[in-house]
Amino acid sequence: MIRLVRAELLKLVTTRLLLWLGLLIVGLEVLVISLRVSQDSLVSLAEARNQRDIVSIAAVSALVSLILGIVSSAGEYAHGTVSHTFLVAPVRERVVAAKLVAAGLGGAALALFSAAFAWAFAALLLSARSVTLHLGSAAVLRVLLGTIAAAAITGALGVGFGALVRRQTAAVVVALVWLLVGEPLLSIAGIEGFAPGHAVASVVEAGEQGSNLLGFWEGLAVVCGYVAAFGALGTLAVTRSDVS
Amino acid sequence: MADAPPVDVRGLTKRFGSTLAVDDLTFSIRRGRITGFLGPNGAGKSTTLRALLGLVRPSSGEARVEGLRYPELPDPLGAVGAVLEAHTFHPGRSGRNHLRVLATAAGLPAARVDEVLAEVELTAAARRRAGGYSLGMRQRLSVAGALLGRPGLLVLDEPANGLDPEGIRWLRNFLRSFAADGGTVLISSHVLAEVAQIADEVVIIHRGRLVAQEPLEVLTARSAGGSVVRSPEAERLRARLAGDGIEAALTGDGELRAAAPPERVGEVAAAAGIVLHELRAEGASLEEVFLELTAEGPA
Repeated sequence: MIRLVRAELLKLVTTRLLLWLGLLIVGLEVLVISLRVSQDSLVSLAEARNQRDIVSIAAVSALVSLILGIVSSAGEYAHGTVSHTFLVAPVRERVVAAKLVAAGLGGAALALFSAAFAWAFAALLLSARSVTLHLGSAAVLRVLLGTIAAAAITGALGVGFGALVRRQTAAVVVALVWLLVGEPLLSIAGIEGFAPGHAVASVVEAGEQGSNLLGFWEGLAVVCGYVAAFGALGTLAVTRSDVS
Repeated sequence: MADAPPVDVRGLTKRFGSTLAVDDLTFSIRRGRITGFLGPNGAGKSTTLRALLGLVRPSSGEARVEGLRYPELPDPLGAVGAVLEAHTFHPGRSGRNHLRVLATAAGLPAARVDEVLAEVELTAAARRRAGGYSLGMRQRLSVAGALLGRPGLLVLDEPANGLDPEGIRWLRNFLRSFAADGGTVLISSHVLAEVAQIADEVVIIHRGRLVAQEPLEVLTARSAGGSVVRSPEAERLRARLAGDGIEAALTGDGELRAAAPPERVGEVAAAAGIVLHELRAEGASLEEVFLELTAEGPA
């Protein structure tokens, strides 16, 4: 099992996937943080709460990590490498389990990078506007740690979902449409807090913004339930399908 | 299970929806030999090989490697090396890294990767991304992957497809030396000529069913049922054969081509006390036999 996890990690670092996803994160963070710091008033920027909000863009890595997970599983079908994978490890449940772990670790690593870059870039721009920094606060630390936990979870979630769909592009599109359209629609019924995207957000926010999000522990429990459900369905789909 | 055949297919049936791809197929292959697995495109060769390798789930029946179902093999790469037709690589990953991934998953040392790369003469291109590889290089990378675990059995699905003559020659020489070292090979093709030069035995399927399994010489003899015979008394032999109703023609200096199998020609010669210098089954129209065998069956 350790061998399979190591092989999956090696897969992640031997293509340019992580590089592109890392650049995507950097691009988004540079854009959002620059806009916010240049537009907001100095008074507003000086508030610890707003600085925490600025840094919380790092949580975009949870979404990017979802894509990483999907590519890790569905991508093998897209490139046909899945037959190599199952020839070495014919017990497919183990392969899916190894991918869950590896994508979780990969997601956490992406989030760590994302958090570090967002923090450093925000510190740089805020200093440039001579704003007093409050980036060492517990609130900032909590949102960044929440981001890392969330990205580890979404990496695994992506693996399960990708294994279930087994079509890379379709899986990514469906996931994005669900997050951007599906969950907002659920809010009409007022049950969006239990949806995967909102549950992940409650892990990131760690109870900061109460309104329509679950608390940290409830959110964590719900999202782990989704990982287990998609992991199980994905495993079932992968073990039952023919590779031809 | 040392006494189990390296490959043993029993009553294998596979349906894809309403399509019957493999229909109650049974055959096994012998250790230390090269077996050609033949049939026209769509005959069910790939499906059979994929069922053997645990990639396709049989609808009924089973296919075993070394006496075990593929997923039961304790060390799959050490038992069988596979070169699949649709074997593709991640275009952004180098050939060497592709092999490193496989070696890591199989618990093989990294040094083995460089060994197999050298063995298939791909060392120079090993660190380039596989997306830029030629078909021949991909084929070698596939073979390198199959060799990683030092298996005693190689299974190749249409390995010659799309290869240039040089690539085909390389592959043929490689398989010959693999078999010469005691290895067993199962190689599929829809072109008999591709495997006729190296196969000891052939398994022919058509529409998912077994049509023939026999040594290549037998298939050859079936072709015209004819023999080539050389004798210092060629003309006298021709007359005796004609007397027994066997047509024969002088085709060269002391060489006859007779329309009967070697056993029959030998009997006639022995009865007449004629010395033979050579007697062999004729193999001129293998392709015709193959086409004939695979043209039959229900429409």
